[in-house]
Amino acid sequence: MAKTKTAPVIVLKDLKKSFGIGNAEHYAIDGIDLTIRKGEFIAIMGPSGCGKTTLLNILGLLDSKIEGEYELDDRMVASLSAWRQARIRSQQIGFIFQSFNLVSRLNVIENVALPLVYKGTTQTNRLKQASAILHNFHLGEREYYMPYQLSGGQTQRVAIARALVNNPSIILADEPTGNLDSAASHIIMEELSDLHKRGNTIIMVTHNPRLTTYASRVITMLDGKIDTDTAAPNRPVDQLASRPLGKKRKQSKRKKEITI
Amino acid sequence: MRFLFVNHIQNARQSLKGNRMRSTLTMLGITIGVASITAILSLSGGASQVVSSQIEALGGNIAVIRPGSQSETPLQDITQSPSPQQFSASTLTEADIATVTDIAHVAALAPMMVLSGSVKSASSAPVNTTIVATTPALAKISSLTIRDGEFLDPTLEPNTAVIGPQLSVDIFGTEDSIGKTVTIRGQSFTVTGVLKRTNTPINYNGVDFDQSVIINQAAGQALNKSSLQIQQIDIRSDSVANLNQVIIDINKALLKNHLGEADFSVLSGEQIAQPTNRLFTAIAGTTTAIAAISLLVGGVGIMNIMLVSVAERTREIGIRKALGAGNGDIMAQFLIESLALSIGGGISGYLIGYVVSFSISTLLPFYPIFTWEIAGTAVAVSIIIGTLFGLYPAIRASRKDPIDALRQYD
Repeated sequence: MAKTKTAPVIVLKDLKKSFGIGNAEHYAIDGIDLTIRKGEFIAIMGPSGCGKTTLLNILGLLDSKIEGEYELDDRMVASLSAWRQARIRSQQIGFIFQSFNLVSRLNVIENVALPLVYKGTTQTNRLKQASAILHNFHLGEREYYMPYQLSGGQTQRVAIARALVNNPSIILADEPTGNLDSAASHIIMEELSDLHKRGNTIIMVTHNPRLTTYASRVITMLDGKIDTDTAAPNRPVDQLASRPLGKKRKQSKRKKEITI
Repeated sequence: MRFLFVNHIQNARQSLKGNRMRSTLTMLGITIGVASITAILSLSGGASQVVSSQIEALGGNIAVIRPGSQSETPLQDITQSPSPQQFSASTLTEADIATVTDIAHVAALAPMMVLSGSVKSASSAPVNTTIVATTPALAKISSLTIRDGEFLDPTLEPNTAVIGPQLSVDIFGTEDSIGKTVTIRGQSFTVTGVLKRTNTPINYNGVDFDQSVIINQAAGQALNKSSLQIQQIDIRSDSVANLNQVIIDINKALLKNHLGEADFSVLSGEQIAQPTNRLFTAIAGTTTAIAAISLLVGGVGIMNIMLVSVAERTREIGIRKALGAGNGDIMAQFLIESLALSIGGGISGYLIGYVVSFSISTLLPFYPIFTWEIAGTAVAVSIIIGTLFGLYPAIRASRKDPIDALRQYD
């Protein structure tokens, strides 16, 4: 198992995140202790509203109004300035969204080159790197397409290419296949799996239990807390993938129809 | 980081191009403001340059003596109309003329007595015009050239007159009016000369020679109930180098004549043009201030459009932040966009302003001027407007919460 060999990248201690104030206050994340090691491929599952996306946003430094401790690469996130956090997002973190989130007025290659802008790369180098990564994703012919001219699967591949263009060590994927059919989902997951094999840390939120087979560690969340964790010391690894998820699969499928 | 700036510019160009119509209309607000400021400044600059350039053209050895002390406050010159001073009893006397004539290096001197009154020919209705009573030396000092006939010669016949070409056309219907009789304040004068057209209605003598009649000093004195009122004495020194010494000597001599009272002033070069310049500067200042209001309106337009743009691109802001943009990056992006709008408007306004002022100048006796100050003002004003009105939308954009921003669907 990777966890015994690699250093922890992310350490959460009693992490809490509340929304609302006064009587309306509720904790979307209600005390999470979690250690994520380098090179792990983590699938986070759970019903809608259990705090998966909130957790991902916190991990991605998009949300810094938190209680508890978040250590990223041995640095306390709370002590980092907004500018420093933006630097980390730019250099260490790649985001993949369910809704792709390409900038609609920029073409494919400009979208992919966007993270490099904030790294201070020259335009020529930006386009070179973006072009190279698009070729890897077999999108070389689509470089000058606009986002609306692409299919869902292609769009998500562009989004993944964009997340990877600045060689991030941590990739955060929020339901990357949520808007895709199974064939396109498969391609995307193969890509992520590939990235994992190359040593990247991947944290993926998903509703689809089938996708957990790609992950090295599966965490389920419930009401802002970690419900099950395949890496938890008192749980054997193999047991979890089949049994507790079988139950949750039905739950999550039902909920998915209602909420998405 | 330095590439980021280039990228912001590319980005601004892209987003402004994407909304071509909207960007053009927003720029138009600034264009109109800057165009009017440019037109006003270039025309008023041209106007105030007229007098000083005439003095330069005359060789730089001209000085004038005017009655009354030079006012210290520029505003007084503007608020007081020039006529009361012009027609008040002058402090300059015949004795002063004699004194100045005797000063070394004074090559020529011409006292000017300006009267107003009606002038008519036998067949025409009276025309109200300026009557200048002076000596023959005026032609030499002020470079007046005769188109026809000859300039004043008091030794021949006192009641002769030299008239301006436009006045000649007005009362005789022709520029060839030699030998005709003109009635000035009821007195008959024979026209012995017609001036060549000067086309300089604004000059340091304060008289539009094209439209005036020039008579002998003695005749003028007679018209004014034998009292001599000298509004100005034009002096030409024998060389440019001696002008300063001449002015000092005149000041000394006249001060003695006037029993120590400095109730006169000796002016040269730029000083002569100063009252005119001050007036133009004040007019230009006021009109510029009014034009500045249109700039403010243009600025509000920029702010409005930038706020719309920020709202429209909220999701993009979220994406950019997620991809590593800091607050400063987002702020710079929108600030540069608003600066692009205002500077673009400023440059086109500057060009249009000159087109306007050149077309207006075809109706005026002077040309607009080009100076760095005007170009600088146009650029500075547009940068200030762009920053001032772009700052709030840019700050708003930069402060957007990335999660909320990403949640917004476009």
